Amino acid sequence: MTAPLEVQEPELEELTLTDKPWIVIVWNDPVNLMSYVVYVFQKLFGYSRKKATRLMRQVHEEGKAVVSDGPIEKCEADVARLHAHGLWATMEHPS
Amino acid sequence: MEAWPDGRDAGTESTTLMARWKRFRSGPNDTLVVSLAEEELGLLRSLPEQLREVLEGADDDPARSRLFPRAYLDPTAESEEAEWQELVHPELLRERLDALELITGTLGRATAQGDWWEIALTPDEVQAWLGVLNDTRLVLGTRLGVTEEERALDPADPEAGAYALYQWLTWLQGDLVDALL
Repeated sequence: MTAPLEVQEPELEELTLTDKPWIVIVWNDPVNLMSYVVYVFQKLFGYSRKKATRLMRQVHEEGKAVVSDGPIEKCEADVARLHAHGLWATMEHPS
Repeated sequence: MEAWPDGRDAGTESTTLMARWKRFRSGPNDTLVVSLAEEELGLLRSLPEQLREVLEGADDDPARSRLFPRAYLDPTAESEEAEWQELVHPELLRERLDALELITGTLGRATAQGDWWEIALTPDEVQAWLGVLNDTRLVLGTRLGVTEEERALDPADPEAGAYALYQWLTWLQGDLVDALL
């Protein structure tokens, strides 16, 4: 048998693993149709109808919902796609 | 958010315009076929130019701000916000202008089927329709200050026409989303 390879953990990866992810928030608005919001969540994030509907309900009833999270670059891209579809989305870093 | 319109009379005098049966149905080769009354086709043809004026208009227009909102709510994140806007705004604007081109092209090839006009839409064209219908509703909704409460429509209200158009677009977009879900 060969000896196990020595795995070198880059410091950067350790940082991102322990770092809290950014979150993307979609806010309620009076114009976007509920069915359209479900459609957009499914289309952009590949969520099931059930999950997309649950998030839409949360936005509608609680005023906002966290719809995705991850590194800052991913969240910036998610927010851009949500804006392209007319949803009111913002991103923040939970402190 | 707005619930699915339930067929309430929106107060328009045109019965054809508000006739609420399914307008989008599956066609051959992955197309979605839309059926429109002549006056509806005329209305839709007037939208792209109006939307273009908003897209290319003043930065301080609230309707334009609704189409291009901030990514960072935090007012101390101005540099991040500016950087993000610089990165994505040109593309978001171009996509919206491309959608206007696409929808204009489809409206130009409507064919008469008796009293109705039909257009077969490719998947890309369907996305352009969805985007333009939604953007137009966002602009109208911002201008009219719509809330989640249904507004009682008084025909003497100077905004009655715009509100009837908003409601018709809401219904048409809802029908389109139903065909896609």
